[in-house]
Amino acid sequence: MKTTIQEQDGKMVAILAGSLDTAAAPETEKAMSPLNDVVGKDIIIDCTELEYISSAGLRIFLGILQNTEEKGGHVFIKGINENVRTIFAITGFSNIFKFM
Amino acid sequence: MNGIITYIRRKLSVRVSLRVVVSAAILFITALGLMFYQARVAVRQEAISRATQILDKTSLRVDSILNRVEVASDMTKWLVERHTDDADLMFVYSRSMLENNPNFYNCSVAFEPDYFENKGRYFSAYTRHVGDSIRTIQGGSDNYQYFYMDWYLMPKLLERPCWTEPYFDHDVSTNTSEMVTSYCQTIKDRQGKMIGVINTSLSINWLSHTISAVKPYPHSYSIMIGRGGTYFVHPDTTKITRQTIFTHTLEQPDTAMMALGYAMQRGESGMKLMHLDGKDNYVFYKPLGKTGCSMAIVCPESDIFRSFDRLQNTILAIVAIGLLLMLCFFIRIITYELDPLRRLATEAETIASGQFDAELPDLKRIDEIGQLSHSFGNMQQSLVRYIEELKNTTAQKASIESDLRIASDIQMGMLPEKFPTRNDHEDVQLYASLTPAKEVGGDLFDFYFRDEKLFFCIGDVSGKGVPASLFMAVTRSTFRTVSAHESMPDRIVTIMNKTIADMNKNHMFVTLFVGVLDLPTGRLHYCNAGHDAPLLVGAGIGELPCDSNIPVGFMPKWNFSLQEAQIFIGTTIFLFTDGLTEAMDAHKAQFHMKRVNEVAERALANQQHEPRQLIEQMTDAVHQFVGDAEQSDDLTMMAIQYIRQQCDAKIQKNIMLSNDIQEVPQLDAFIEDICHTVGFDDIETMKIKVAVEEAVVNVMKYAYPTGQRGNVNVEAAFNGSRLKVTIIDSGKPFDPTVHSTVDTSLSAKERKIGGLGIHIMRQNMDSINYERMDKLNVLTLRKNLKNKD
Repeated sequence: MKTTIQEQDGKMVAILAGSLDTAAAPETEKAMSPLNDVVGKDIIIDCTELEYISSAGLRIFLGILQNTEEKGGHVFIKGINENVRTIFAITGFSNIFKFM
Repeated sequence: MNGIITYIRRKLSVRVSLRVVVSAAILFITALGLMFYQARVAVRQEAISRATQILDKTSLRVDSILNRVEVASDMTKWLVERHTDDADLMFVYSRSMLENNPNFYNCSVAFEPDYFENKGRYFSAYTRHVGDSIRTIQGGSDNYQYFYMDWYLMPKLLERPCWTEPYFDHDVSTNTSEMVTSYCQTIKDRQGKMIGVINTSLSINWLSHTISAVKPYPHSYSIMIGRGGTYFVHPDTTKITRQTIFTHTLEQPDTAMMALGYAMQRGESGMKLMHLDGKDNYVFYKPLGKTGCSMAIVCPESDIFRSFDRLQNTILAIVAIGLLLMLCFFIRIITYELDPLRRLATEAETIASGQFDAELPDLKRIDEIGQLSHSFGNMQQSLVRYIEELKNTTAQKASIESDLRIASDIQMGMLPEKFPTRNDHEDVQLYASLTPAKEVGGDLFDFYFRDEKLFFCIGDVSGKGVPASLFMAVTRSTFRTVSAHESMPDRIVTIMNKTIADMNKNHMFVTLFVGVLDLPTGRLHYCNAGHDAPLLVGAGIGELPCDSNIPVGFMPKWNFSLQEAQIFIGTTIFLFTDGLTEAMDAHKAQFHMKRVNEVAERALANQQHEPRQLIEQMTDAVHQFVGDAEQSDDLTMMAIQYIRQQCDAKIQKNIMLSNDIQEVPQLDAFIEDICHTVGFDDIETMKIKVAVEEAVVNVMKYAYPTGQRGNVNVEAAFNGSRLKVTIIDSGKPFDPTVHSTVDTSLSAKERKIGGLGIHIMRQNMDSINYERMDKLNVLTLRKNLKNKD
């Protein structure tokens, strides 16, 4: 599991690659924690390389979303594959996240 | 005739009047009849005495006439015997006899032939009335040799004076005949030798007139008969001397007439009632002196009783007219008196036809009719009031009935309608029926599937009707609520009991049987709260052993016990309420457990013990037993047949993990591997992977106390159509399936971080199931392999 955070065009982009299973979740959560400090910028989570997500992963996503929206920002999901989209659909996360 | 009877029956006035008048008539007729009878007897007695007197008088008169004849004859005899030598003197004596006695018919002083030498052979000084004058001639001649006549011979031979039988006295000179009777006595000379006869005659005709003049009644008449019975006096003159009193009886035997004839001949006197000439007559008879004759007066009864009859008829007519007048009078009076009653009847008819506000006649009377009218008025008012009340009550009742119908629909709607059968369920088939005794009932049954478990219950609320039905609804919804979070029946019942007892103010209770059938294993957990023990119909018939727990609803602190049993494939669990065993026929006999067992045994013997078949047979048996009797209690039955067919696993693998989430990737690899082996596509594989990971991570995180090492065993098995993943751990009992699911429609802000795991498991797998077995938590996840088209 590989997590990269970078700034592009005034937006924070988190690029996730690999399988975000329960075992990988704590590490990923730690890697994405800088996003919680971002103020006034939208966040894009790039899931193009994300192969798998467990509920622990979804919890990280939900945490970032609730934190960002509290500060008036937006979270966008980018390049989600079919498998992960299914999990989003099942859990109702596709209703609360914006996709690009 | 029928018309008259109907009229009389319909008219009270006529009937009462008739009764009174008929009674009066009977009284009058009896009194009058008695009076008439007495009067008739008196009149008859009077008539008899009168007739007897008249007869006696007549008889005396005749006797006096006869006496005169005899005295005159005796005196003449004395003169004649003094001067027996002077023939001419005989003419003087004879003539003077008639001159002195104008009533005598004739008188002869006749002598023996050749007595007077100068007078020839015949000498009879014969004097007789001719018109107003008296003629005296010498009567004897060759043509009339008097000394051969009866009147001459009788005293001569008898040697004493005597009266002759009436005979015809023939007057030669005038050639006339007259019927006479004569008193004859001999004339003797001084030597005592008989020399002649003095004959003094009375005209029978004259005598007859004398007698006939006796007429006590207008139509009465007299008869006189001689010694031989010959008529000498009779109104029919043709009979005189030509017929006797017996003549008629020769042609027509008439004992009464003969008796009369003999009595008269014998010289008796008396009275007889006889039927003569078509009429009833009283005949009074008496002998007439020395003549040997007897006379009778015939008095028609109609004459005797004429005036009496007239009086009687008059009285009867007066009485009859009086009674008729009385009848009319009574009818008028009663009709007048009853007129208000008739008006009342008319008004009552109007009221009876439904016109309750009809005006009743205002009768200013205080008698029975007035009272009746008053009572009737009260009744009318009450009737109006009651009808009004009845209308309201009926409307209320209709409203209640409508409510009850709706309540019944709602109650029935609460019960599951779709029953699992062999066709749509491979584990179990079930059927149930509920027949309330009233519109709504207090019985309940329920079942539903959660994961791979069948939750079911059957119950019977104390009492019937609306209260029981409300309690039933509460019980049923409590069952659903509680069993959503609890999988063990004892827990379910204990919590239900506490919940219900807390809100049970009316001390109602419900007997309840709650069961949870684990479909993969056939393991039945159950808790019986005072309900009838269910029957197991499979390898024979047997009752499911049940602990004696109290019913639910009144002791909130009671801990209900858990029981467990293995249900074998093909076995049917038959549950019922006491409405089955206590179903009553018309004689209040109960159906009893014995008959339930018999029906079940028969069903089993015929291999007809599938749920629906069993319940239908039981229902038929109860209907047959109960017959036309009213259903006494709610009747509920539920049958559950376990039919799972175990399939042999084709592929079986397992992996043992420790409670370290760093071992999750191994699990993922394991699952991925088997999914690909079995043939799931990527998406399905990913779904299974997520679900299993959630389940395992749950165990890793929460089953064991922090810091304690524990294992999680994951078994995967595939039987050709379905993948089964079983996660087993020895941690603390934990049933993830009872945790509430997340609401996926909430906004990001409202969403909770937890609870997603079980949701994902349910969504991604076809079934999940938790069992606590031998101190192990056993969670089973199943996923069907869809056919690849």
